[in-house]
Amino acid sequence: MLRIYKRMWQVNWAEQWQYRANLLMYLLFWLVSPIVFLAVWTTVANSQGSVSGLTANDFTTYYLTLLIVDNLTTQITIHILAYKIQDGTLSGELLKPVHPILTNTLINNLAFKTLMLMVLVPVWLVLCLLFQPDFSSVTPQSLLLAIPAIVLGFGNSFLFGAIITCVAFWTTRVYALNEFYDALFILFGGLFVPLQLLPQAVQQIAQYLPFQLRIYFPIQLILGRVPPDAIVRNFALGLLWFVIGLALFQLVWRRGVKRFSAVGA
Amino acid sequence: MQSNGRSSLSAPAAAAIVVDGLSKTYHVPEREGGFGAAVRSFFRRRHRDVHAVQQVSFEIRPGEIVGFLGPNGAGKTTTLKMLSGLLHPTDGAAQVLGFTPWERKPGYLRSMTLVMGQRNRLSWDIPAADSFLLNQAVYRIGDEEYQRTLAELDELLELAPIMRKPVRNLSLGERMKCELAAGLLHRPKVLFLDEPTIGLDITAQARIREFLQEYNRRTGATILLTSHYMADVTALCERIIIIHHGQLKYDGAIADLARRIAPFKLIGVALQDGAGGDLSRYGTPIANENGDGKQLIQVRSEEVAPIAAQLLADLPVQDLTIEDPPIEDVIERAFHE
Repeated sequence: MLRIYKRMWQVNWAEQWQYRANLLMYLLFWLVSPIVFLAVWTTVANSQGSVSGLTANDFTTYYLTLLIVDNLTTQITIHILAYKIQDGTLSGELLKPVHPILTNTLINNLAFKTLMLMVLVPVWLVLCLLFQPDFSSVTPQSLLLAIPAIVLGFGNSFLFGAIITCVAFWTTRVYALNEFYDALFILFGGLFVPLQLLPQAVQQIAQYLPFQLRIYFPIQLILGRVPPDAIVRNFALGLLWFVIGLALFQLVWRRGVKRFSAVGA
Repeated sequence: MQSNGRSSLSAPAAAAIVVDGLSKTYHVPEREGGFGAAVRSFFRRRHRDVHAVQQVSFEIRPGEIVGFLGPNGAGKTTTLKMLSGLLHPTDGAAQVLGFTPWERKPGYLRSMTLVMGQRNRLSWDIPAADSFLLNQAVYRIGDEEYQRTLAELDELLELAPIMRKPVRNLSLGERMKCELAAGLLHRPKVLFLDEPTIGLDITAQARIREFLQEYNRRTGATILLTSHYMADVTALCERIIIIHHGQLKYDGAIADLARRIAPFKLIGVALQDGAGGDLSRYGTPIANENGDGKQLIQVRSEEVAPIAAQLLADLPVQDLTIEDPPIEDVIERAFHE
């Protein structure tokens, strides 16, 4: 199995390099919204001194950490797979004796992520020089703790991304659903605004949803701002969502493939 | 219809492929063109049942090469997709190598292949050699066996000069060779080939044909193939299965088909001094596309001898030939019967 992943990596890595222009567009897309949010909130914070106790530099630090965390935990499954389901080319992958999503799609995501990171990190360093974030609260322990949080965050985001993509087995309007899902992420994940600034009631809901586990929780963990009991609670919650996601994914995938093979795409 | 002496259905274990009453019905939405129809169909979808395959049954012995023929839309590809596990049938059963295909067990997927002429198993952006390596891992082929098989495929298909180029830069024929190789690296025991020579020039077609013959001879693989090129079929298959409108029309030896479907012979006549003449009272005149200047008439097989004798007696015959009708015409006729 390890060999399969290794070879898939080689193929997907080589493929990713073929799409350099594409990558540049993605990178710009990636940078734009965090930087816009960063600019908006630092401006607001500067004019008022602070926003609910957060200074302009707090926002800078938050959003620059977000740039990296977001890249590490995101997934692009819908762009890899939905069209294959719709035009029937998924058939080629279904003929192979391995699970297409848990092998090829997963590796494709990782290859994309790695290549993006190679381009993103230099840009990120330049941004750090320009904006001077305050990373003084980051410790080796906080970074170490963030690793499993990021892995879990990606695991969850991958599974739920795959579930959304599988809706393509039933409808061609799957991209609209994905937009809606992304919007939930922006709000409940901590992209639009650090979650502690949301109204209390919304925060209450957000803390149990998987969205914050992908962005807000790892960021706060890196910055050493999560109390121990909340760390335990979030990891437990992450595992719970992972189990739910896995079960749901298996169900949707099986039903989806059955439907795919019934209509004969 | 005829079952080619295989009517001893007793031992299914002996057959590589057993298909029993296989049916597939597609439930397809349908509407008329135009704005009004589009709006109406938004509220009320009309569906129509398309019976792509109906109650098809046959058996194929290990090592057989069988041609699977029929006009476009006859249900060939649907059948192949069901047998390779990509489609669930609406009704009926099938066993291939003892597996039910649409359960898609890894053991089954590792022992068969489906090669479709226009679909690619190969990644477009990278050289075929890289996709081959991926297949080696996916199909768990040992290094030694992989090298041996690849060398063999290279010998038969001359892959070496093309497998290092990105697939997108290959010609259609080169790509097809790589597709076949990718589909055969794991040495499948059963091959489903859907139009393996489509779009290829005559030379490339001939190469693929020779290759399939040789592969079958070396590995004893069972092959079920569809093709629009009768040359493929006559070169490779002793047995053919014809389906039309989803129903089995013929299953038997290709040689018997002419006798059953078209019990005719063609008599070609060249008259002295190149004279023409009306031969229609001897048989049905047929256009001659050989360019040898003969007039052709079609007569029933049992009347060949008396009519030939009559021709020789009546006319100043310089040359007279008696031929079977071309197999293309026979199959064409079988489709439309």
